[in-house]
Amino acid sequence: MSKVIVVTSGKGGVGKTTSAAAVSAGLAMRGHKTCVIDFDVGLRNLDMIMGCERRVVFDFINVIQGDAKLKQALIKDKRIDTLSVLPTSQTRDKDALTKEGVKQVLDELREEFDYIVCDSPAGIERGAHLAMYFADEAIVVTNPEVSSVRDSDRVLGLLNSKTHIAERGDGSAIRAHLLLTRFDNRRSASGEMMSVEDVLDILAIPLLGIIPESQTVLKASNVGMPVVMDDKSAAGKAYTEAVGRLLGEQIEIRMDVGERRGLWQRLMGRTA
Amino acid sequence: MQSQQVQKNPAKRVTTLKPFEIRGRFFTAVAVHLTGPADAAFYQALDTQIGQTPQFFDSAPIVLDLQNAAGFGSSEEMGLLVAQMRSRNLLVFGIQHGTDQQMQAARGAGLIPMSGGKDKPLDRQRPPRAQAETPAQKAPEPASRLITEPVRSGQTIFADRGDLVVVGPVSSGAELIASGNIHVYGTLRGRAMAGVNGDHNARIFCHSLDAELLAIAGLYRTSDDLPADMRKKNVQAYLQDDVLRIEAIG
Repeated sequence: MSKVIVVTSGKGGVGKTTSAAAVSAGLAMRGHKTCVIDFDVGLRNLDMIMGCERRVVFDFINVIQGDAKLKQALIKDKRIDTLSVLPTSQTRDKDALTKEGVKQVLDELREEFDYIVCDSPAGIERGAHLAMYFADEAIVVTNPEVSSVRDSDRVLGLLNSKTHIAERGDGSAIRAHLLLTRFDNRRSASGEMMSVEDVLDILAIPLLGIIPESQTVLKASNVGMPVVMDDKSAAGKAYTEAVGRLLGEQIEIRMDVGERRGLWQRLMGRTA
Repeated sequence: MQSQQVQKNPAKRVTTLKPFEIRGRFFTAVAVHLTGPADAAFYQALDTQIGQTPQFFDSAPIVLDLQNAAGFGSSEEMGLLVAQMRSRNLLVFGIQHGTDQQMQAARGAGLIPMSGGKDKPLDRQRPPRAQAETPAQKAPEPASRLITEPVRSGQTIFADRGDLVVVGPVSSGAELIASGNIHVYGTLRGRAMAGVNGDHNARIFCHSLDAELLAIAGLYRTSDDLPADMRKKNVQAYLQDDVLRIEAIG
């Protein structure tokens, strides 16, 4: 039974694409056949984070419009053989997405893959709506600051009303998980950022993981490697644990996340 | 400008427009099934019915159904019934299911003998008294509304006929609107408007007050005007001499 998981947030720049790449790579590393789809039509980024931007020939929109077969558009990852990427078009916009087209592609992908991760664009318009519409589960990516939390709250409302599962009207709902990203323990403790408890109190959904603000995330993105593959970094470990929890494993959430400062930095009193 | 042009070419206008057009059209009429003679008891029952739902019967097109009614064999008798009903502003225009004699009498009284048509229940227009008299058949729908999920930013929950009860948090950017009271068993961070139909006795209750706006019967206070010592407290809001008061409870 394959699962469609949407990675969404409402607000932009909170780490949706990074998280979609990391979660899909994490699932694939555990041997699950996984496909990650970029729904951000016109602002193609996922392929770069996944390091396959030079291998894009056909895209999601070509498949929807019948110009290419799904097999032609899917890009197999060179590092993890159970991972595939369905890139999107850089030249078109969100109007090129149709509900029927998206459904058809997802149905076809469901036959082959265990997990289908949909990387939603920011906002709550067409692209974001169609990314979440057919989802079974949702990962809501949130930064510990008020505007991101409010936008996530709005998205949770839409997940409970404007999706395929919600529109069935039989009381079933999408399972939503919270992924708190760009978390900085010190700034949260000093009150510059919201605390984990405050965010959970407002959003009232289970916490999937806390990803520390980390330089390694940016570096990993720049070289086109999902950060989850860097098992030495705190962010990579946090994503690996989040994937474990997504699969139902009981892993304790550590609150003391964050890059450990080296001895030299501590002696110098620098803030990394 | 336009009217001038029309006056210049009256002949052309006549040739391009047909004098009339024929279109099919459906109307809804009320069928009154008579079960006995049109005696004093009948008119009294009729008046009672009209008194219960005056708007519904006012100027309603009416067909008399004579399937279960004997009599009315003469135009005079039929004419008297029609006159009596029209005097109550019931616009009788036709009859159905009558005998040949009744049909003949109806033509004489200026009514149209109707055939066909389908009965349709007029549930929503049923008088409230009738429901109250038969409580065993159908319990009245609860007027209050219960929400057991968190109310998210951007959502509006409207309880148009009574109280609104929310078990869970209400996020900033969410709206609760009720014609009666509002109860929030959780943190209220959004807006709450109670007594929106002008009920000054409506109140707002919440377990933890952090609202953007509280309003009762249109009188409101925003988060800036809410007393600071009530924040995060278990409170109720109510109107007293047209002032929105907030006090801690429990």
